[in-house]
Amino acid sequence: MSRSTKKHIFAALKIIVAGVLLIFQVYPIFYVIMSSMKTTEDFRKLASYALPGSVNFSNYIKVFTTSPMVTYFKNSIIITVGVLIPLLLISFMAGFALSKIQFKGNKKVLSYFLLGLMLPFQVALIPLFTIFNKLNLLNTYPAVILPQIAFSLSYSIQLFYSFSKFLPDEIMEAAIIDGCTPFKTFFKIVFPMSTNSLLTVATMQGVFTWNDFINAYTFTRSTNMKTVTLGLNDFVGFMGTTDWGATFAAITVTVLPTFLFYFFTNKYMLGGLTAGAVKG
Amino acid sequence: MQNSFGRKKVILMFLLPAFIIYTLFVVVSVIWAGYYSLFDWSGVGDKTFLGIRNYVHLFTKDTIFWSTAAHTLVYTIICILIQVFGGLVFAIFLTRITRFRAGLQTLYYVPVVISSVAICQIFTKLLSVTPIGVINAVLSIFNPDLAFMEWISNDALSLPVAAFVEGYKYLGLYMVIFYAALIGVPKELEEAAIVDGANVVQQYLHVKIPYIRPVIVANCVLVLNGSLRSFDISYLLTKGGPGNSSELMSTYMYKQAFTSMKYGYGSAVAMAIVAICLIVGLVFRKITERGDEE
Repeated sequence: MSRSTKKHIFAALKIIVAGVLLIFQVYPIFYVIMSSMKTTEDFRKLASYALPGSVNFSNYIKVFTTSPMVTYFKNSIIITVGVLIPLLLISFMAGFALSKIQFKGNKKVLSYFLLGLMLPFQVALIPLFTIFNKLNLLNTYPAVILPQIAFSLSYSIQLFYSFSKFLPDEIMEAAIIDGCTPFKTFFKIVFPMSTNSLLTVATMQGVFTWNDFINAYTFTRSTNMKTVTLGLNDFVGFMGTTDWGATFAAITVTVLPTFLFYFFTNKYMLGGLTAGAVKG
Repeated sequence: MQNSFGRKKVILMFLLPAFIIYTLFVVVSVIWAGYYSLFDWSGVGDKTFLGIRNYVHLFTKDTIFWSTAAHTLVYTIICILIQVFGGLVFAIFLTRITRFRAGLQTLYYVPVVISSVAICQIFTKLLSVTPIGVINAVLSIFNPDLAFMEWISNDALSLPVAAFVEGYKYLGLYMVIFYAALIGVPKELEEAAIVDGANVVQQYLHVKIPYIRPVIVANCVLVLNGSLRSFDISYLLTKGGPGNSSELMSTYMYKQAFTSMKYGYGSAVAMAIVAICLIVGLVFRKITERGDEE
């Protein structure tokens, strides 16, 4: 076989492998979106992998008219923002301080925070549930938001710790010589310098929070406090066995926001993972 | 900088908020669960002090707990195979392509950003028997009997199926980490290998994979930690069943506490999970550290 035929065969093989892997990773979502446009008739007559007979959005209308999807979205947005802002602020401050300030016990404090990476979140659910119950906090935003912040701290601190190592000391020293207090230096100099790191952690934790199941499932009971993920779970429990079209439309509706968000910010999400895991 | 930032007051200001929230919700919760584990308590009414009797029961009489521990082990092994080996294969493949690499990387990562609730629903439909779902429809082309193959409600298959779905969801995460490690391998090493006459496979087996060994170990730790405490997929996809066939330690604990209202006993199970996670985590960390020193 000549060199160039061999090359062509390899090139073709690569395309085939890329395609197979792509189908494996992306087909389920393609299948959901296609099926969301199928009518009951389509489900009865067509094979499960067939495309819908025609494009119709009646399933979507059904999702929004038969379930409080708008409330679910409102709750998910409030909870995600409510987790992200405090989480970013306090984990950045802690990660930055642990990586840039030398003090006695520095390493011990870091290990203390990183211990949380090994603790299963479910363990905290029983005590937190009883405490929230006593304080009448069940079915409130803080009951969902606070544990989520606490259990995301370990990972976020680890990421900010690795990122902060790359911040040049000279700029901060210059700010201090110019009379900035440490707090002012942090917020006026370090914060704006770190937009990339902040976006990285924000996108990752944002998707995790949006997708959270167990936290919201345990601490909220009433419909008007449910998040998008819980809403989907309920909707499927209600419609799942009978109305497949509506179920697929509901899945699409809940997945699309994370999807769009991911495609716009994937640079940060993928970058953060590598920084956190490889250098951590 | 050290003079200005190094003062006690400044250090406290930076660390205290995170320290308080973390200690209050994570550390105190675990200790509190340890306290509950000494009681017989239904969540309402009086607690009856049992001492270590919950633990005695857990370790000597509770065969279901030990079967869930065994399930968790199997689950973890399957997840490591899919996520670490699968992730590595995906990553190696990504380094070999020249065009559309960024686009493919983005698309391969897609399952990671889908919520477990949605993933479980999608797989329930894909694996459905009535009506025949996509997977059985495709399989029946090769063997018509497979059209009626049960996946989720089959007690021999529900655990591996759940583990597969978990592995599938997070494969992209490990792919990205391995990819970053692989492109970080110094070019000189590759060139030296080529000069020595190594072909592509040998380059990976003898140069690149040994070079990224610390990352492989680190990923194993991440998968191990993730799988030991995984909850969503088993709870949502198979509901732990049929029977207890796909029940994991974490779902068993959750059901003991919140379904059977045995808060004390559930807490004892929780403490056993914490102990197992910490032991496994620390043992693995020791192994990793030794690896770094070489």
